[in-house]
Amino acid sequence: MKEFCDGNRVAVPGDDLTWRQLLDRANARLDAPTALADQRVVFVIDDIETALAATIYTLAHDLDAGVIDAGRVSDGVRERFAEHAITPIDLTAASHAQAAPYAAGDPVAQRGRVTVFTSGTTGHLKLVEHTWATLNTFDRVNNLPANHWFLPYQIGSYAWYQMVAMALFVPGQHLVAGDMKDLAASFASALGRGAVTASSSTPTFWRQALMSIDRAQLASAQLDTISIGGEIVDQAILDELRSLYPTAKIRHIYASSEAGAAIVVTDGLAGFPRSVTERQGEPVSVRVDGDRLFVRSRYANSTDDDGWVDTGDLVELRGDRYFFCGRAGNTMINIGGHKAFAPDIEAHLMKHPDVIWAKVTAKRAPLVGNLPVAAVVLKGTISPDEAERLLTSHCLEELAEYAVPRMWKFLERVPMRASLKS
Amino acid sequence: MQRTEILKIMNTVLTNKGRPVIQEETQSTRDANFRSLDFSETALRIETKIGKELSFDAASMRQIETIKDVVDFFEGATATT
Repeated sequence: MKEFCDGNRVAVPGDDLTWRQLLDRANARLDAPTALADQRVVFVIDDIETALAATIYTLAHDLDAGVIDAGRVSDGVRERFAEHAITPIDLTAASHAQAAPYAAGDPVAQRGRVTVFTSGTTGHLKLVEHTWATLNTFDRVNNLPANHWFLPYQIGSYAWYQMVAMALFVPGQHLVAGDMKDLAASFASALGRGAVTASSSTPTFWRQALMSIDRAQLASAQLDTISIGGEIVDQAILDELRSLYPTAKIRHIYASSEAGAAIVVTDGLAGFPRSVTERQGEPVSVRVDGDRLFVRSRYANSTDDDGWVDTGDLVELRGDRYFFCGRAGNTMINIGGHKAFAPDIEAHLMKHPDVIWAKVTAKRAPLVGNLPVAAVVLKGTISPDEAERLLTSHCLEELAEYAVPRMWKFLERVPMRASLKS
Repeated sequence: MQRTEILKIMNTVLTNKGRPVIQEETQSTRDANFRSLDFSETALRIETKIGKELSFDAASMRQIETIKDVVDFFEGATATT
């Protein structure tokens, strides 16, 4: 049996359990693991407790498995399972269906493989193969203080597995699972009960929390550790978190489901210092080739011959710091031959005190080819006409004229996807 | 689209940038500080308003010199779309 921190606790809606207790429940519910030992399986669940129980069962019995929310399992996803010889095991019903044995010629299970489900930037479900070793990215963090982490991530995603692996393998790291039906309410409730001391989430998650939870309530929470990532982390959200939690350790993390956790930034500034690219070695090395970010990491699930992963993310050196400019191929806007990066425009918009969230895209336009257009969530009640004037003026103060959004859409709320990204 | 409506959109484009409104249609686009980006934005706003893409004749676009030319152009483009 694989070793894990069986005393670490996992709070799920209505219960607070140790990993050992969760494993006991899984063992009682599921058949003997030998029935699954030769198969590659995915546990289809519809609640967080079962997801975590299936996960500890997977680890403890060294199975080849993943876990996915039933809501994501469409006919197309079932076809993907079949293509990869994955047997879905339905744990949503009162008694689970028996897994069918492999037909002759099917590949055998790879013990210890973990199938991670990610939506990527396209929204198309992608299967990424990891092991517990590559998921355990917190093994390089020394002296992590004991924490109760709010777990907001989509079940079975890379970020979810990273948090779960941390709680499995790092002593003193406990989880407080968010309720996916109303994440903001469960976050507010957990903060109000003092049940949470640490948070790992995305900028979009925090922006939605800032919209839906009273600021005084947020500020009163005793958060000691805040990790933020999954999207480009802009200066405005870092400053907002610093003002809410002046004494917390705030770090932003660059990670990808293929490259693993790669860059951890603790100086409170967006982007990362150039010096990060000058430190080559274990466990993570980073280099910039042209405008592309490459990572070599022991947490990566696949690499080229030299061990490097092309992340597909663009960066630009400004002064002594690299800033993220989005994904190659889809964030650069060509405006009559001038190039503007949507993340730069978004970051500038989100510096405005009346803006909580902004997204900039290209819209085809005559004469110049494309124009930047913006969708914005405002903090207060400002008329759209007034907001357009305010934000156009704000942009003209710092951005080149061609980079100033020309059309505006004002949204009522932050459009957060299940991945906590927008 | 009516000329007054086109002018109103052009003035919105200008005032959003903190520039003065158009004085008269005989003004050159240069004097009115109405630039190519503003022309594109105006087209986009008109397209959004009428819910259709405009078709553009490159030759007539090149002849634009005054605000009147711009208004004439969009009046014609919206009439034929």
